[in-house]
Amino acid sequence: MNAPNIEYGILGPILIVLAAALIGVLIEAFVSRRYRYILQTGTAFAAVALAFLQLVLIRQTSSKAAVSSMSIDGVTIVLQGSVLIFGFLGLLLIAERGFQSFTAQAAAIPGSNEEQKALVSGLQQTEVFPLTLFAISGAMLFPAANDLLTLFVSLEVLSLPLYLMAGLSQRRRLLSQEAALKYFLLGAFSSAFFLFGSAFIYGQAGSTTFDGIRKSIVESGGSDQFLLVGLALLTVGLLFKVSAAPFHAWTPDVYQGSPTPVTAFMAAVTKVAAFGAAIRIYYFAVGGLVWSWRPILIAISIVTMAIGTVIAIAQKDIKRVLAYSAIAHSGFLLTGIIALSKDGLNATLIYLFTYGFTTIGTFAIVTLVRDSGGEVSDLNRWAGLGKRSPLVAGTFTLFLLGLAGIPLTSGFVGKFAIFTAAYKSGNISVVVAGVLASAIAAFFYIRIIVMMYFSDPVEDGTSVVIPSAMTVATIAICAVATLVMGIYPQPVISAINSLAFFAG
Amino acid sequence: MNPMNYIYLSCILFSLGAAGVLLRRNAIVVFMCIELMLNAANLAFVTFSRMNGTLDGQIVAFFTMVVAACEVVVGLAIIVTIYRSRRSASVDDARLLRL
Amino acid sequence: MNSLTILGLLPLIGSAALFLLPKGSDLLAKQVALGVSIVVAIAGLGMAFSFNRSATGFQFVEKHQWIPAFGINYALGVDGISLLLILLALVLTPVVIAACWHEAEGGRWSVKNFFGLILILETMIVGVFAATDIFLFYVFFEAMLIPVYFLIGGYGTGEKAAAAVKFLLYSLFGGLLMLASIIGLYVISGNQLQAPTFDVTALSQLSIDPVTQRMLFLGFFIAFAIKAPLWPFHTWLPDAARAATPGTSVLLLGVLDKVGTYGMIRFCLSLFPEASKEFGPTIIVLSLISIFYGAFLAIAQGTSSGDGNIKALISYTSISHFGFITLGIFAFTEQSHSGATLYMINHGFSTAALFLIAGWMISRRKSERISDFGGLQRVTPIMAWLFFIAGMSSLALPGLSSFVSEFLVLVGTFARYPIPAIIGTIGIIFAALYILIPVQRALHGPITPGNENLTDLTLREKVSIAPVIAVIIFFGFYPQPLLDVINPAASATLSALQITGIMGGK
Repeated sequence: MNAPNIEYGILGPILIVLAAALIGVLIEAFVSRRYRYILQTGTAFAAVALAFLQLVLIRQTSSKAAVSSMSIDGVTIVLQGSVLIFGFLGLLLIAERGFQSFTAQAAAIPGSNEEQKALVSGLQQTEVFPLTLFAISGAMLFPAANDLLTLFVSLEVLSLPLYLMAGLSQRRRLLSQEAALKYFLLGAFSSAFFLFGSAFIYGQAGSTTFDGIRKSIVESGGSDQFLLVGLALLTVGLLFKVSAAPFHAWTPDVYQGSPTPVTAFMAAVTKVAAFGAAIRIYYFAVGGLVWSWRPILIAISIVTMAIGTVIAIAQKDIKRVLAYSAIAHSGFLLTGIIALSKDGLNATLIYLFTYGFTTIGTFAIVTLVRDSGGEVSDLNRWAGLGKRSPLVAGTFTLFLLGLAGIPLTSGFVGKFAIFTAAYKSGNISVVVAGVLASAIAAFFYIRIIVMMYFSDPVEDGTSVVIPSAMTVATIAICAVATLVMGIYPQPVISAINSLAFFAG
Repeated sequence: MNPMNYIYLSCILFSLGAAGVLLRRNAIVVFMCIELMLNAANLAFVTFSRMNGTLDGQIVAFFTMVVAACEVVVGLAIIVTIYRSRRSASVDDARLLRL
Repeated sequence: MNSLTILGLLPLIGSAALFLLPKGSDLLAKQVALGVSIVVAIAGLGMAFSFNRSATGFQFVEKHQWIPAFGINYALGVDGISLLLILLALVLTPVVIAACWHEAEGGRWSVKNFFGLILILETMIVGVFAATDIFLFYVFFEAMLIPVYFLIGGYGTGEKAAAAVKFLLYSLFGGLLMLASIIGLYVISGNQLQAPTFDVTALSQLSIDPVTQRMLFLGFFIAFAIKAPLWPFHTWLPDAARAATPGTSVLLLGVLDKVGTYGMIRFCLSLFPEASKEFGPTIIVLSLISIFYGAFLAIAQGTSSGDGNIKALISYTSISHFGFITLGIFAFTEQSHSGATLYMINHGFSTAALFLIAGWMISRRKSERISDFGGLQRVTPIMAWLFFIAGMSSLALPGLSSFVSEFLVLVGTFARYPIPAIIGTIGIIFAALYILIPVQRALHGPITPGNENLTDLTLREKVSIAPVIAVIIFFGFYPQPLLDVINPAASATLSALQITGIMGGK
């Protein structure tokens, strides 16, 4: 009997990032503190760039890999590409050293002497880079998984580093640690549901691979209760990750408490990864059960849109507003899954790709508005930003318009594509709900714009700091992407349309 | 014995764990309840493996154990830092974020 | 590149030039803006002369693929209706720039930004009227909100930020409803044609089942009724008009709001003939309510002793006038249609005159209260007389341009719906009241203390208002050139309706 064949070439992108993460751990352990930052950032950026290169080389692949526990096909390529791009942008923000977003020593008690000492001596620990790389590799694995076990393991590889990263904030340590605790407990709770659901699906299908599940649904006609119970529990776990209502409660807390660069990274990358995995599950593995899961997802999508938009109106903290906006966007994205068609698949991938740039750009700008105590996230203190710094306010306006889905921004293209797909599949109710939710959402985005332009600045020490080239580059890339994909989206759309097929 | 009984048992364990997560206030206890849920899933996997006559479920159980161990590492790290900061591991005390 | 694209691009280039000017060069900015807008207006008029008046269908057509994946084209073209509306915008823009020379001073941002925004708005207006691809139309429809938003919020008076937000939210809400309908149309076109499309002409060939047609019609209609504004969707207008500067109000009420009535003709009627027929009577009732509601509120502003606001008065008269326009559109006769289209043009000019002169009165008197303008007839006779002429045009005095259009609307409506036409005629009497009461009480009354030393119009102001007054008087006596352009388009719209049984059915 021969050992199974591992396709190193097409698994290359994931393996490169994973290897770099492990090297990062070694660097953290063995290299002198003075060189760590430069080595860590060098490794991280090089790894992501190399992985992307490898991904471009294998872009025509469409096959199962690693004994059919993974599926490297067009959908995976698009999603992994998105994850790598957003991971790179997130890393640029995380590597910004001007702001001291990250605590020097995560283990030190907030306000203690050790912490002070570490801060004063400038001995910043750099464990955040390998953690980010682990999260990126998990996020690349998650949408590629073709097997319930791989899916579960990659979910944890993605989530565990994020739990830790949420607790690394330099300012407001307690808030940050609390966010980490909440994220961890709720995340672990949802993974338990996820795993228990997987057990039941396995119990019915007799196999953990998606191909096996798909086949067994065809054979059984999809009537078995085990399968339905399992799918319901699995859905709970997935919906938690994509922060759909009623499993969204962690989102605002974690978005607010985490260091903002981590929030930016998390908002874009986990959304891509989780929706990527959800697409493969609902489209490929349990597509045969569509009549069972579609009504539930429709209800959840509508509730998510409603909660995300309505509660956002009452928020006073910019990061919480953006968190609720992320929840609302999850509702919009679910309509793409509900569509269950090639159009829906294309639209979801386009939406994820455009949304990632806009959301990273938004959070990148949040890191710029500061006072002596760190970031200013109180919305009232953003008043008059248009006067103080027209360029930053203008760019932020662009991102908000993108999130609101106003024409000529990329957000509109995504929204149009996804609503069209849902309408085409006959699910007009979610389209109407989505349109109404967009109208409510426009209200709170515009409220921020009003605040920036039409209120007079209050002299309370709030200012816009001049960032280093890395943050500037991130914001510039995101702004250009938001605008270009809004005005001329054709190349991106046709690239995604031609790639997005599942391997049979 | 009918293997379904093990499924019932795993469901009971899972429910107990879930109830514990929702009702208990100590972060460590909450975390232990989550472990209980994971182990309930393991039991279900192993039972289904027996019922289906395939080994996949048993392999999953091993993986779950490893993943659970990783979760313990991360989880305890977070809980310990928060305990050192405020001398309490009650999840009710962690409410700075409830605005 | 086609003439329409050039026409739209010129103001955009002008605005880019304005934004690049150094700080403080206000006078130069104004001169550049005025120069650009005059060039555009002349180019537009030149284009109009090469317009073939006897042909139906779109002219100056141009079409490029934009997002082929969705079947979206950059498609432009004009028929008689859209040509005249574009010309209205092109003529009014230089008038507004010249008339509001000092309006931007004291705004939140610099003077050059004000004129830059106006030029951007001009581009959007050309685009929205010229677009023959519904998607492109929607993009312009939404995008033009942004310059208006900043024009109201940045340079207005009073509760400007709130008014700007209210305007934006109402319009966005309507726009999103329209988006849902557009998506619906697009999907249906994909089912019925070889490939989904947004082309207006192709979409009007679809046969849509009645229930869907009704839903899609409402999506479009509510968006346009908010824009127009028709009672009960009008509530944003008085706030916006009160807060905006007179120049912004001219563009907003005179030109932008015509997108609503234009959209009803171009999209509601031609895409959903059955639903238009079904909702027609309801909309006629709404139109009548608008006519009287606007008139009563205007009279209330005019007669209230202390705080009648002149900008609010003009905005309420507009609600009344828009009622006449929608009445004409949904009466479905050739005369009423021609009248409604002509009304859009004439209302643009008469409102422009009213707002601009009111703006000069306000800036001289530093007050918006009607009761503060007492005795202007004696102090500033030219200004008072011009306001009087504009007012007479607004109440449709025979010999002034609005008369022709109002007459056509009512005669045309009478042919199909006699009773609403008669009720509408009563509306004219109220129109006389809302114009004559303030004119008589304020302008002709005794001189209010503080008015003694007001100066009359300057040469710049006289020159800038002259074309508007000339148009009002000229087309009052000789509307035929306009009707020649409008009639083929109007009958084309109606014959499209006839084919699907709106006339033959009863």
